[in-house]
Amino acid sequence: MIPVIGLVVGLGLGLWLQPTVPVWLQPYLPIAVVAALDAVVGALRALGEKRFNDRVFVISFISNVIIASAMVFLGDQLGVGSQLSTGVIVVLGIRIFANAAAIRRRIFHA
Amino acid sequence: MSEEQHWSATGLLEQISENALDDDYYIVRASEPRPSRISGLVVGVLLTSFALFVTTAAVQTRNDRPATELEQRTLAADIKERQKLLDERRATAAGLSAEVQSLRRSGEADGGQPADLGVLAASESVHGPGIVIAAQSSRNGLEAGRITDRDLQVLVNGLWYAGAEAVAVNENRVGALTSIRTAGDAITVNFRSISAPYTIVALGDSDSLRTRLAQNPAGAYWEDRRKRSGVQYAVTPSSDVTLPAAPKERLALKHAANLEVSR
Repeated sequence: MIPVIGLVVGLGLGLWLQPTVPVWLQPYLPIAVVAALDAVVGALRALGEKRFNDRVFVISFISNVIIASAMVFLGDQLGVGSQLSTGVIVVLGIRIFANAAAIRRRIFHA
Repeated sequence: MSEEQHWSATGLLEQISENALDDDYYIVRASEPRPSRISGLVVGVLLTSFALFVTTAAVQTRNDRPATELEQRTLAADIKERQKLLDERRATAAGLSAEVQSLRRSGEADGGQPADLGVLAASESVHGPGIVIAAQSSRNGLEAGRITDRDLQVLVNGLWYAGAEAVAVNENRVGALTSIRTAGDAITVNFRSISAPYTIVALGDSDSLRTRLAQNPAGAYWEDRRKRSGVQYAVTPSSDVTLPAAPKERLALKHAANLEVSR
């Protein structure tokens, strides 16, 4: 119940407050969102497999966001920011797809 | 997950998709106690922040879009305009180079010889566009306000310098042998006395003659005379001026003989 409430509250807050992202944070936000999405989809899969664990979720969520942002930052410093972002997106995308496929298999048995 | 399984994944992408779920979910499970209330809350907070992230990013992107689009449209319009300008300039350049070529060809056809020696030598009357200069001594009667032969010499010289093709002073065509000088009270041109008001007619492109005269020292000299000494001086462009030929006696040569130059 709490997770669903959290999602709804976050959505509502975002739409209501419409916070402005500081300029220095703008390059990292999209990547952070994708990394967080990866953690969330992973958690959903673990939930389906009855393996869900709060601590793992919390740690994977935070570390995903931090590492993804750090990679973008590092890439920016090295002058390969966009390429590295693409790499991160590809890896995270594959993970999201794989996890979503696992969830799909569990639900539909197909 | 065993070590063997880890290494069996040959490709990087395969490995990524095989380990899609964090290994931790498999490792930690056994020893972990059931979720407590606090960790549930933490999950809730994280999901809240996740939803906040997503909405913020989406809203931001949405808000930024018009600005980006506007920028793009402005840039595109700019590019189009520049291209049009470039095309125009190219067309102008092509036209000009064609003109240059035709002019060069006609110049070659002329062989560098003046079109009409009679016009140049002032032995024929001519007409065409030009300017008319009306000059008169100052009304205040002072010595400084009187127009002298020197004034007229400067003016005629300045007109040649400004690109005039023919010049006449009070209907006296200025030719190769013409002199302008004072004789007694009057000024003579071609040994004919002339009196005020003086009308100096110059043949040539009215606009360029006028501007170039105004810019060269002769024009400046006369402007100065007008301001300081009250000499009356007015330049009027004319679409058609007529200049008589120089008198016959000023065209006749008694001693000069043509030196045949071998070419």
